[in-house]
Amino acid sequence: MSMVSEAEMLALIGHRFPGGVRSIEHWENWLLTDCTGREQLPDHLVHPVALFHVPIQGAGTSIAELFALGQVDGAGSVGLDGYDWEYFQPLREDIPYRFAGGVIDVQRQLDERGNTYDRFVFSIDLATTDGKPAARITNHWRLRR
Amino acid sequence: MSVTPGTAIPPWAMSDIDPSRMKTMAAILRDPYPVHWDRDAVAALGLGDRVINQGPLNLSYITNMLIAWQGPTCIRRLQVSFGRPVLDHDHVIATGTVTSIEIVDGEHRATCDVRLEREARPVVTGTAVVAFDPSEPEDH
Repeated sequence: MSMVSEAEMLALIGHRFPGGVRSIEHWENWLLTDCTGREQLPDHLVHPVALFHVPIQGAGTSIAELFALGQVDGAGSVGLDGYDWEYFQPLREDIPYRFAGGVIDVQRQLDERGNTYDRFVFSIDLATTDGKPAARITNHWRLRR
Repeated sequence: MSVTPGTAIPPWAMSDIDPSRMKTMAAILRDPYPVHWDRDAVAALGLGDRVINQGPLNLSYITNMLIAWQGPTCIRRLQVSFGRPVLDHDHVIATGTVTSIEIVDGEHRATCDVRLEREARPVVTGTAVVAFDPSEPEDH
């Protein structure tokens, strides 16, 4: 399979996700928190690591769709470079949050072994339905070519 | 204990990375990446026969350390980079050190270097900004 062109990848900059409204249900937060190996948080607080999957799903996309957008598939084709997550207020279960975001940067680069990859950056904002900022995530993925 | 530059955050350890938690996590995330539950997929990459922990789970151990230190709503920002993978049945430990203090809108915040280590080698490194009450001893 030929490598996706750099121009094709750069054209993704500015791509917007559908967006939407999503809440975090108790069962989901309970299982998520349990996976992290700690006891449940009080007062219906959502575990902070929910900022990985909840924004992706709330923005109307998915990990699989992001892989498809970046034209990668199969084990070993995606790596995590980094996250920048900002928390403007505590997230709580069963509160509807509004999600909006998209792809903000793509850069074709070489790794330390000379292999080509695309640095794929997307950002999603979370806000309450009355417009108060709740969080912002910016994720950097490595799409190996 | 006061929070000042140089303060060490009490470490938080995950003594045995459980592969069954990766399966639950994959379902929650709707993550189709098979390296988190399929040992054959890992082996096909030449990475042995142990499944790979999700990056968000690795980060969660750092957040658990911060929550245990300053409470469940203390985190204001996380900026992290990921290095080598964490595998099932690994032992990892989250650590951190305060590097600076500031007051933002009347709130005391500590900027901290944070890391997750496996076999004394970092697998996640970065910076966390954590709110704290300067009048409260840590008791969470």
